[in-house]
Amino acid sequence: MILHLFLQKMVSALLGIFLSSLAVFVIIHCVPGDIVGQMLGQTSDPVATQALRAFFGLDRPVYEQFFDWLAQVAQGNLGVSWYQGRSVVSLILDAFSVTAELALLTLLIATLVGVPLGILAGICEGSRVDAVIQGFNLIGLSAPVFWVGLMLLVGVSATLGWSPPFAYASMTENLKDNLEIVLLPVLSLSLLQAAAYSHFVRECMVDQLRRDYVRALTAKGLSPTLIYFKHVLRNVLIPVVTFMGLILIQILGGTVIIESLFSLPGLGRLILSAIQGRDYPVVQGALLFVACIAISINLLIDLLYGLIDPRLRK
Amino acid sequence: MSLTQTWHGVMNSSLARWASVCLLCFFAAVIVMPELIAQQSPIALNPTRALQPPSMAHWFGTDDVGRDLFARVIYGTRVTLGLVAGALLISALLGSALGLMSGFAGGLIDMILSRLLDVILTFPPIIAGVVITGILGPGADHLVLALSLVYLPMFFRIARAGAISENNRTYVEASRSLGFSEGHILVKEVTPNVLPVILTQYVILFPLALQIESALGFLGLGVAPPTPDWGSILEQGKNFILNAWWISLWPGLFLLASSLAVMVLGRSLQERLGKG
Repeated sequence: MILHLFLQKMVSALLGIFLSSLAVFVIIHCVPGDIVGQMLGQTSDPVATQALRAFFGLDRPVYEQFFDWLAQVAQGNLGVSWYQGRSVVSLILDAFSVTAELALLTLLIATLVGVPLGILAGICEGSRVDAVIQGFNLIGLSAPVFWVGLMLLVGVSATLGWSPPFAYASMTENLKDNLEIVLLPVLSLSLLQAAAYSHFVRECMVDQLRRDYVRALTAKGLSPTLIYFKHVLRNVLIPVVTFMGLILIQILGGTVIIESLFSLPGLGRLILSAIQGRDYPVVQGALLFVACIAISINLLIDLLYGLIDPRLRK
Repeated sequence: MSLTQTWHGVMNSSLARWASVCLLCFFAAVIVMPELIAQQSPIALNPTRALQPPSMAHWFGTDDVGRDLFARVIYGTRVTLGLVAGALLISALLGSALGLMSGFAGGLIDMILSRLLDVILTFPPIIAGVVITGILGPGADHLVLALSLVYLPMFFRIARAGAISENNRTYVEASRSLGFSEGHILVKEVTPNVLPVILTQYVILFPLALQIESALGFLGLGVAPPTPDWGSILEQGKNFILNAWWISLWPGLFLLASSLAVMVLGRSLQERLGKG
């Protein structure tokens, strides 16, 4: 049953990836302005334009270019960046290592802060503690990530006289610099995601605590601690795992802005600069990669769901 | 549940909700008559008073070319909230119409439409927004197009689900047996019942769309200067963040307040809908 469901989801995921690649390809090729125009600027010489278009393969029909690209993708080749001359795969992997670090650290902090807050708010429903946590959730969900980043930057520089190093250093190059650089971006992203987590966990807790089984356990004389941590939390875990997937995809989106603000060479910046420079192989490759990541996270969550909840394995 | 009941539900609630309604009224007033609140011009340059901190003459300070930030943020309310409201309205109308028809018709049309719109959902909304505005270039029209496209599938899904569930109800069956046409049943009978869900979805998506709109503005993909827009003011303030923090503070606070107000309203509507 699970295998059948998995295969069905895989087929629909592949179709989704194919259609999204096609959509991006069509949009990007139908809009006026390409790399040739950008390279030659205002003084476009028809002969040079023609030659450059032929060099980049832009003179061929769009469908031909698309199927050529698709054939290359099937062989694991995403092409070469028109600007940097490097393979798109290596560009994406380099950028993804930055984004993945941001995303995983954010997920970690958001889970560590958001889940306990949500549980606490759920248990104390209607109390002052609940009101304060709900206030935090609302503010966290309403504050734009990049604005939080800007304010953090002002705040730490005004109060502590500290500002993050300018040049990006990877984890392997210099761990201290790396952590200093990612600190503020991760904190800004975490505020939103911790609030989202906390709100979601609270709703789940409140919903579970109203169920009959909780009343039965209370009537049986079980201590509240045992009811919360042994029985209720296990049921809350299922939707929370699904939500983790959603959060990860959201973080992936959120990094686009935060990377641009803090000048981090991540996936978001790669996509943005490639779109602005009309570097088609990088745009296509990076978006394909993002789509694959988003779809894989969803698939993984579906599988995890089956593992956590035995009722779904049947 | 009718729309009147939904509204009564909102009005019967706590202080936070009242505060949200007051804030929304404030924003509505600012949108309708910004010139009454901000006396100075939002676009008049005056380099002699550039980067001045908040004072009695300039409540929110001035930007790098000496424009009054209070006026820019106040006039920016109309631009930012107007763009988001308009873009979401387009996607609500188009998405719901497509969703209702698709869910009601079922079969091949439903399958094709669902698959096509799922393509947009493959990407996180902000990435989809960056791709569309990045390729088409900055400008208010492209921003509206991007936002409406990004949120179209969400309205489509909710309207489609509503139409499918209503399609199985007895009243639809009764209308069919009375001889009403499918179009009549869809427009006159089914749509009014799905409308509260769509309206709630509009309010719930509003803060999210607002965040995307300002993020795109912040990335330089929003409305063209010198039109005041909260995201664009934030983008401009980014370069002066350490010596002129006020440029970034105010538009962010306005964004926060408007998102908060709409979010509280959305929650109330959602709760009412759950109870109804």
